[in-house]
Amino acid sequence: MTTPLLEVEDLNVWFELPSGGELHAVRGISFELEAGERFGLVGESGCGKTTAMLSIMGLLPPNATVAGEVRLDGENILARGEETVSPHRWNDIAMVFQGAMNAFNPVKTVGSQIEEPMELHGIAEGRIARRQAEELLERVGIPKDRADRFPHEFSGGMRQRAAIAMALACEPRILLADEPTTALDVMVQAQILELLVSLAADFNLALLLVTHDLPIVAQVCDRAAVMYAGEVAESASIDALFHTPKHPYTRLLFAATPDLRAGGERVASIPGAPPRLDKPIVGCPFQPRCDRAFAPCPTETPLLKTVGERHVAACHLNDHVREPATA
Amino acid sequence: MSASIQGGAAAATEGVDVSASRRPRSIRQIALREPTAIAGLAIIAFFVLVALLEPILVTGDPKAKVGPIFEPPSATYPLGLDGGGANMVDLLMAGARVSLLVGFCAALVSAFIGGTVGLLAGFYGGKVDVTLMRMTDYVIVIPDIPLMIVAAALFGRSLTNIIIIIGIIYWTTTARLIRAQVLSVRERVYVKRARALGAGNGRLIFKHILPQVAPLLVANTVLLVAYAIFAETFITFLGLGDPSVISWGRLIENAFNDDAILNDAWWAIIPPGLCVTLVVLGATLFGQSLEDALNPRLRVGHLSVRRFKVRPLRGKLDAE
Amino acid sequence: MRGFDYVSKRVLFAVLTVFVAITLNFVLFRTLSGDAVSALRCRQCTQAFKEYQRQQLGLDQSKWEQYKLYLRDLAHGDMGKSLRSEQPVTHELWPPIKNTMAMVALGTAFSIVFGILVGVVCAWRRGTWADKGGLWSGLAFYSMPPQWLGLLMVLFVAGWLGLPTAGIKDPTLGILGDASWWDVFVDRMRHMILPALTLGLVLYGEYALVVRSAMLETLGEDYVLTARAKGLSNWRTVRTHGLRNALLPIVTLVALSLGFIIGGSITIEYVFSYPGIGLEVVEAIDQRDYPILQGAFLLLTLSVIGANLLADLLYFKLDPRVSG
Repeated sequence: MTTPLLEVEDLNVWFELPSGGELHAVRGISFELEAGERFGLVGESGCGKTTAMLSIMGLLPPNATVAGEVRLDGENILARGEETVSPHRWNDIAMVFQGAMNAFNPVKTVGSQIEEPMELHGIAEGRIARRQAEELLERVGIPKDRADRFPHEFSGGMRQRAAIAMALACEPRILLADEPTTALDVMVQAQILELLVSLAADFNLALLLVTHDLPIVAQVCDRAAVMYAGEVAESASIDALFHTPKHPYTRLLFAATPDLRAGGERVASIPGAPPRLDKPIVGCPFQPRCDRAFAPCPTETPLLKTVGERHVAACHLNDHVREPATA
Repeated sequence: MSASIQGGAAAATEGVDVSASRRPRSIRQIALREPTAIAGLAIIAFFVLVALLEPILVTGDPKAKVGPIFEPPSATYPLGLDGGGANMVDLLMAGARVSLLVGFCAALVSAFIGGTVGLLAGFYGGKVDVTLMRMTDYVIVIPDIPLMIVAAALFGRSLTNIIIIIGIIYWTTTARLIRAQVLSVRERVYVKRARALGAGNGRLIFKHILPQVAPLLVANTVLLVAYAIFAETFITFLGLGDPSVISWGRLIENAFNDDAILNDAWWAIIPPGLCVTLVVLGATLFGQSLEDALNPRLRVGHLSVRRFKVRPLRGKLDAE
Repeated sequence: MRGFDYVSKRVLFAVLTVFVAITLNFVLFRTLSGDAVSALRCRQCTQAFKEYQRQQLGLDQSKWEQYKLYLRDLAHGDMGKSLRSEQPVTHELWPPIKNTMAMVALGTAFSIVFGILVGVVCAWRRGTWADKGGLWSGLAFYSMPPQWLGLLMVLFVAGWLGLPTAGIKDPTLGILGDASWWDVFVDRMRHMILPALTLGLVLYGEYALVVRSAMLETLGEDYVLTARAKGLSNWRTVRTHGLRNALLPIVTLVALSLGFIIGGSITIEYVFSYPGIGLEVVEAIDQRDYPILQGAFLLLTLSVIGANLLADLLYFKLDPRVSG
């Protein structure tokens, strides 16, 4: 089996709190991304998915501590923190931030900000960079004369497209997208998603999509990992997650979205709230809200086990399965 | 002195990167928790205490000559004697009384004018608002200190006049601040409800809006005290002050006019200015930290010299 | 042309403010202060002479007439004559204005540069000793009365650096032979440095605080995270994305502090006997030379209004978000 393009193994992230304690935001997650694959990272807000994604690019604040490995082509880019991860930024792994965010500097033109990483990484300069930026803009559906405009002159949807163009500036192999369609209206959401899918195909990009919005994941991704309280609850193909979930959280999540084509918030309203991450968690983190909790759940942490073809889940209901997960 | 430090002096009050709670706290809470607020308050309290106790601490006329002019500090006179042979310590204490008095009174005048203008503009809106704000705009552009100097030159010389002059110059930023606050309070649910229940304007203003606006007004007034004391030193230094009164500004002027420099009499020069600096510093710290705590702003930084840390992965993470 | 609306609105506002300033000037000096002639120190003046003076100065006419006269004279650049020297006010004030402009420019430049440096360093090293040190020193200088700081300078710094502490020229220069252009220049600078430094020190604190604050705010912006994600080094991010955005508030801030700059320079010039417009103001006050005082005040106000307009236009040019 060839080495996957991106492997995340046992990733942990802690944040030092001003009050002195530590917040264990990501608690040992693992997953893989093959070249050209579209993978989703799903969960409620606060489950650690965004932090996990930022860690892949090393975009963590100074009060963060990271452990585990993030392997790009087999090489651990987190080995020495900033030093080893920064060379890969944008030319191997690029990111599209949330639709609501201000990815563009308001006092510079959009075109110049797309050219900036090209010049920085020595891919193109001057007029060539300019032409490439214009081509990228056209590819995402923005007329190229808009390159000289300022961000505030773009609508939300167009700005997001421009952000995608900017992300592709250095021909990365992996594109991380964090809630790329939040704060955009429904019609625009669909267009952006289609754009992402077609770009991933054309440029042979691996796409890691982080979102709380299940219909999006269903539309765009082939496989996904469901995160809960900083851990992976279950990871499998979209089909399997929808039809044969092996974790109650997954089941409740997916079951609560009958119409996957209607947009908007579709997180199941499961009663209760996720556990606090600044204290140790005993037993299964989902147990207080689980409808199938039984004897071992409050006291024993369930391990991630292989329950099918490229399908892992961490739930005591699967305890009859022998081996622990290897993938 | 420019009124635009509000963007900035937040700085000294940032002890913690991320403010834990954004709930508006009462002034007392803030004053007793934030370290810079405490420091500022302590400084002001010290000088206020001195000013209040001055009649007891100083016997006789502070201006009285008790020795040769510009006598250096000694055991009996810890800060030496000034150009008229008077005891510096006594002079400073008397000066504290006047400077603080001018500061507080002028600040109150400014706060009153600014607060009223802001309140009326914010509450009534429409034409009233536009006219008042237009007026404020014009006043703001006229340079404050030259205007004050000229006014003092023409009308000055008495303490009351000086207080009024200072008060009339500095109300503009207060007006804008209060107006903004009133505008936001006015739209709150309970105010609308009270109005729907038939409360008259007066009642709305005094019972509902004013209590919400008051803390910010107090914080701003503290800052105004700093400006006012500063302004007084300007006026007195140029010889426009009340000749019968000793203030810190006057002491600096005296030092200058009596050629303290030629006499190397640092004890006549440094202390009065130092007192002004300390009080202004204290008031700025206190007032600014109050204002920021009442209008908190969260700040997160994406860039830092320090990096995130990498922990080597132990075989299996324990007890979590 | 982008923003024609904005520009014309600001210019109109400036013009209106000029009118307000002129009127205010008139009201202050003619109307409220009583009769300038009777305030003249004129022990032997007879009543007739005073009447004559009154007539000369147009004080025998109605206030409205006087106002129109005043406006007309102003339009011709006539601001009256100094009571002291009988010279036209404009002639009297021109050399001092040049001196003051030079000194204030130097001082303000110093404060801006130093303010930006300290502000950026503080924001950069937020929370460290460098940050706190920068903040506290900035606040400390900000709280000092400029005249006091000037006195301290004279007391401690002048001797140590061998700088002169009064006037603007060395009276002995040029006596023993022709002074070259360079010598004159150095001489002027030596006299200007201390007053300018004093002005710069009391100003920089505020600028440093604002730059720091703006910088921190900018550093927290999403596009800075994007820049970091794109692979820009810290330094490059600050330079290309942070600085420009953080410097915008300085433009407004300088405009807002003009009142203080002028006021401060008045007292500073007094301390250093620097022959600028500030010193003229002080002497005019002392000698009750009202025309000079009035003229000086008007000029100062007009320059502040002009500078504010410039600042508005500059801000408009720098920030594309300001709409026309």
